[in-house]
Amino acid sequence: MSDTPVLQYSFLAPILIVLGGAVIGVLLEAFAAAKRRAVLQLTLTLGTLFIAFLSLLRIRNLTSAKAAMGSVMIDGPTILMQGTILLIAFFAVMIIGDVDNFTAQASAVPGSDEEKSALQAGRQQTEIFPLTLFAVAGMLLFPAANDLVTLFVALEVLSLPLYLMAGLSRHRRLFSQEAALKYFLLGAYASAFFLFGAAFLYGFSYSVTLSGIHAAVIGGTANNIFLLIGLTFISLGLLFKVGAVPFHAWTPDVYQGAPTPITGFMAAATKVAAFGAMLRIYYVTFAEANWNWRPILTVIAIATMLVGSIVAITQRDIKRMLAYSSIAHAGFLFTGVIALNKAGLAATLFYLLAYGFATIGAFGVITLVRDSSGEITDLNRWAGLGRRSPKIAALFSFFLFAFAGIPLTSGFIGKFAIFTAAYESGNIGVVVVGVLSSAIAAFFYIRVIVMMYFADDNGDSLTVVIPSPLTSIAIWVSGGVTLVLGVYPTPVLNAINTLATFIR
Amino acid sequence: MTSNNLVYLIALPLFSSGFLMMLGRRADKWGHIFATLISASAFGIGAFEFLQMLARPSESRAVTQKLFSWISVGTFQVDASLLLDQLSISFVLLITGVGTLIHIYSIAYMSHDLDRRRFFAFLNFFIAAMLLLVLGDSYLNLYVGWEGVGLASYLLIGFWNQKPEYATAAKKAFIANRVGDVGLSLAIMIAFATFGTVSFAGVEEKVSGASTAALTGIGLMLLLAATGKSAQFPLQSWLGDAMAGPTPVSALIHAATMVTAGVYLITRSNFIFDNAPTAQLCVVIIGAITLMFGALIGTAKDDIKKALAASTMSQIGYMILATGLGPVGYAFAIMHLLTHGFFKAGMFLGAGSVMHGMDDEVNMRKYGGLGKLMPITAITFGLGYLAIIGVPPFAGFYSKDKIIETAFNSEGIKGLFIGGAALLGALVTAFYMTRVIILTFTGAKRWDEKAHPHESPFLMWGPMAILAIGSVASGFLLSSGNRFVSWLAPVVNSHEVEHAERFQPVVVTTMALVAVLIGVAIAIAKYRSDVPRVAPTNVNIFTKIARRDLLQDDFNEAVLMRPGQALTNFLVATDERAIDGAVRTVGAVVIGSSKGIRKTQNGFVRSYALLILFGAFALLATIWVVTL
Amino acid sequence: MIRLSLEIGQTQKPEAILFYILAPLSVLAALGMLIVRKAVHSALLLAWVMITLAIFYIALDAAFLGIVQIVVYTGAVMMLFLFILMLVGVDAPDSLTENIKGHRATAIVAALGFGGLLISLIGRATLNHVSVGLAMANEPGNVQGLASLIFTQYVFPFEVISALLITAALGAMVLAHSQKSAGARLSQRALSSVRFRGDSLANAAGLPSSGVFARHNAVDVPALLPDGTPAKNSISGVLTARGDVQDSTQYALGSLPKVDDESGDK
Repeated sequence: MSDTPVLQYSFLAPILIVLGGAVIGVLLEAFAAAKRRAVLQLTLTLGTLFIAFLSLLRIRNLTSAKAAMGSVMIDGPTILMQGTILLIAFFAVMIIGDVDNFTAQASAVPGSDEEKSALQAGRQQTEIFPLTLFAVAGMLLFPAANDLVTLFVALEVLSLPLYLMAGLSRHRRLFSQEAALKYFLLGAYASAFFLFGAAFLYGFSYSVTLSGIHAAVIGGTANNIFLLIGLTFISLGLLFKVGAVPFHAWTPDVYQGAPTPITGFMAAATKVAAFGAMLRIYYVTFAEANWNWRPILTVIAIATMLVGSIVAITQRDIKRMLAYSSIAHAGFLFTGVIALNKAGLAATLFYLLAYGFATIGAFGVITLVRDSSGEITDLNRWAGLGRRSPKIAALFSFFLFAFAGIPLTSGFIGKFAIFTAAYESGNIGVVVVGVLSSAIAAFFYIRVIVMMYFADDNGDSLTVVIPSPLTSIAIWVSGGVTLVLGVYPTPVLNAINTLATFIR
Repeated sequence: MTSNNLVYLIALPLFSSGFLMMLGRRADKWGHIFATLISASAFGIGAFEFLQMLARPSESRAVTQKLFSWISVGTFQVDASLLLDQLSISFVLLITGVGTLIHIYSIAYMSHDLDRRRFFAFLNFFIAAMLLLVLGDSYLNLYVGWEGVGLASYLLIGFWNQKPEYATAAKKAFIANRVGDVGLSLAIMIAFATFGTVSFAGVEEKVSGASTAALTGIGLMLLLAATGKSAQFPLQSWLGDAMAGPTPVSALIHAATMVTAGVYLITRSNFIFDNAPTAQLCVVIIGAITLMFGALIGTAKDDIKKALAASTMSQIGYMILATGLGPVGYAFAIMHLLTHGFFKAGMFLGAGSVMHGMDDEVNMRKYGGLGKLMPITAITFGLGYLAIIGVPPFAGFYSKDKIIETAFNSEGIKGLFIGGAALLGALVTAFYMTRVIILTFTGAKRWDEKAHPHESPFLMWGPMAILAIGSVASGFLLSSGNRFVSWLAPVVNSHEVEHAERFQPVVVTTMALVAVLIGVAIAIAKYRSDVPRVAPTNVNIFTKIARRDLLQDDFNEAVLMRPGQALTNFLVATDERAIDGAVRTVGAVVIGSSKGIRKTQNGFVRSYALLILFGAFALLATIWVVTL
Repeated sequence: MIRLSLEIGQTQKPEAILFYILAPLSVLAALGMLIVRKAVHSALLLAWVMITLAIFYIALDAAFLGIVQIVVYTGAVMMLFLFILMLVGVDAPDSLTENIKGHRATAIVAALGFGGLLISLIGRATLNHVSVGLAMANEPGNVQGLASLIFTQYVFPFEVISALLITAALGAMVLAHSQKSAGARLSQRALSSVRFRGDSLANAAGLPSSGVFARHNAVDVPALLPDGTPAKNSISGVLTARGDVQDSTQYALGSLPKVDDESGDK
């Protein structure tokens, strides 16, 4: 018989703590009194994420360690990505904590009496918190996964809660449920491709560990077609998650339909996790086979940047516009991935951090702009917002500036770093397209700002609600991070540069 | 040489600004005093550095301070560093000196405003941003300051944003400036692509190896930036409207300092323009056009502040013109900039003083005969007037005369044209400034019975008096013994080149004085008699055009706004067709055909799945082909 | 071509026979699953596909996988499917009209293209390719080999799957569980008193059950009253509301058969 497996719990601590918190959350659902649940859950979730972050700090210097029998790799990039995910999740949960955004009772038929009575009774679907923690656990595992089995499990663990949460919006519930169902069906479809690809890679290398596959790649004797098919299908699963063209179609619908705090969380954290996994796969496993995937990924990067920016121009819904913008940003991130050098890795990691915080902040602001029937996402109705609540409008403009990559925001440094890396790798074409689409993208970001400040107030009934303390902390911290990363990014860049080395 | 003090120049006002903003109403009682003291202490630091600089030999006068390494991405390194050399110190002294005076003036001028503290916070912010602009040692640092002053200007023009037209004016300024900013950012990008660095020293070092085309590109983009910030043709239209801001703002930002940032930028980039003759020629042309343009607008304005704004535009035209004249011109441009800083700020403060006494009336046709009631204002304004029209020995004479002379002496037929334009500009300047003086301070009173003109308090006339002294003496002090030219020489690389002088200096001076005399004479002849309180409408077409700011807004509307609107309409139309079209054609759209990306977004999950399948198909097909 | 493929992977003779009989059937069943109109038929065809797959697994020496396939999928998952179909109504046919023009054709082309390319690629890759390792993997026995992998090397992902299961259970609760407020539910006693002490005793004996006996007894067919009219209260209100009620008169006997001899009912 085999020996007892050694898991090395300290390396897995962040993941295990988050999972543990999630399970306790489920128990709270069962045993805690309904009226105290929201507060308890919120405290538990934030506490869990905080402790997980602390335990991550404890292991930050113990780089290059395989844990869980080699299933999990804790190296510099893993630490960075897990840290980013935990930070983003922490502030996202603060916004999620404003349960006004979620349905009172998901099982009630939209518009039914049951729903009304649930609303009147002030019921809340506090299961969101454990679900968020489960998703975070999956995200933490995703970029750390060191074999295809773990990778797939992590993918599912992070996806399933997101599918659910996407359907829990308080307003426009049918729309939200439709979004959830779409996300679920297409996600399952993409997962199937991923699994199919994993099987081919096993056929190629007789191994499902990344190092085993890498050995087969550099060995060069194994069956190339299997490698290609496997690589393609695995990529497809990951490309779907980040919303790359042509696997992007779900993004606008889901981003628009999902409750806004969840959209923010999804856009920011899922991107980190998925790009983390992608970086590991391409940089660690398939680096030597880059002639296979780089041209394809280059085409996809270009298409993603262009489609995202061009289609965003004609959007009239702010969430939909940001969804297309997130597609464009996925394209920008790809330019870092295909740079395939250390600068590209560091730049991508920085960009993920910068983009994540700006996204959390931007969607946080959107949750505040409402009228009596819920959030207002119609851009036309945002006209004149700058006059009604200058602070919020200024903050939102700042996030948009960050998305557009205007200097003194984190977005500028991020774009700059990522395009520099791509330039250094000799991929000029991508850089040109990247800059072009940045210019296109700047147009629709600025248009929103113009709307808010320069368009005539149309006397709309919209109001900016006074944010809950947690929400405003989250939004302002996001703004602060965006500013600091834009003005003085050097410490963060240095830290990333020190840590950003993959271990096989 | 390094210095540790430079950062405080910027940090003090920046901190004070944030501090006052954060404290809010709690600081209402003492915020203005605090801000003024901060500004004065910044001037103190500037003066201290200046004295130290004087003590050093001319080649080692520049000092630097590295604050932190700002961006280090791959091979691209930008430090946040400050550079104080002969050029920057001139600006530092102007900004903090005039700035402090205007702070003092504003204590009284804004005393009735409930938001005085906020105003001072903005003023301090402006000082900080402007100092960063002139102290940055690279284009990127300059850019930060550049955006900062733009923001400050926007905030201060729209300070009284309760009035919609003021808010509109602020936006107009903001947008015109953005156009210029695009130029600056493009220039920085081209510079980085060409030289691999964006610091002034780095670029200067590598400039000889660069192609003329790249240099011309950078130069033209820098010029575009300068036209935006300095209200030069064709981006000049915002300056007149910017007068919506409180008068001290007009004096500080829109006369003495910020609008001259374009001149600073071109002077700072002398190494680029000296190697890009085409760009330099464009600078001259823009300068010449604007100086005429501004002067002509000035002749038709009845609003005292707008008349002064037009004059500012015109005077900056002179400076831009001078910067385009090569190494000899830079020093004269900066010299004119400094003297102009004194006399124009003084005149704006004078205009503010008049408005203060006249219940914020700005129409000069409703002034008249104020000289007796407001003697100090009249005298200080008058000294500024003598300076601007260039009467010896006042400040403007020395600086402007030099520019006209240099213009005439530039090579070829070009010299005659621009010299002529400069000369004609001087004539028109004399005309409209005399008109301002006559309408405001002399003649019969034309004001309403309600108005009770009175002299302003000491806090207001004190700064005016100091600036008036500056407008009298600064020209002589700077130009005697070629002092300023040799002071600035290390920065602008000017070396004594003997030009084939077309005209002797004395000839040019005489011509200029004659032009001034003619201008003054025409004005006196025209406005000696009674001036109607309402502007006559039966005037000739030229006056009409001049009153409409030489159709600058019409021009903007026709050239910029209309196509912009057309573009917007087009986008909106596309938008409608796309969205509504998608809705209407749901169920009828042919999925998978290449009719456009947007139509694939029809909301049906099976279509999305099909798209994914197509993606997979395409990928497989690629594999199939490459492994064949 | 067939001879060529027979050599692929050194398929043993009996296994090859099994494969060539079952594989086409399996594919046909899979296609049929998409084409048939009734959900229950589709489910049964799916069960068939799953069982065939299980047989393939067993034939490929993956005994454990084969058994699990049958137990879990055909046993549990399919049964759940069928339960739900029964609850929803067996006869409810899904609308299979495709209202997006050209969608179906495009999908078929894409699917054929995709499949074709994949088959072609795999064919190219596996020709003359020797499969190895099966004997080694199954060396300690199929179940033991799998167990030692799951519980040693892949123990962590295996454990993490529990998170997935909890999420799924939680999700089902969130989406389906109604928290009825405490006062809304009537007690057994109260229900009983409503039934017997109410205004009328018409329903005291219980509601009529659905179906026309011996002709059609599904839940969506109302019972026929003695006078030949359908009894509305014999079927669930949900079905009525959805409009899924069938006309039971079509199952009524047109005319009573001649039963005079035995009954003597004249």
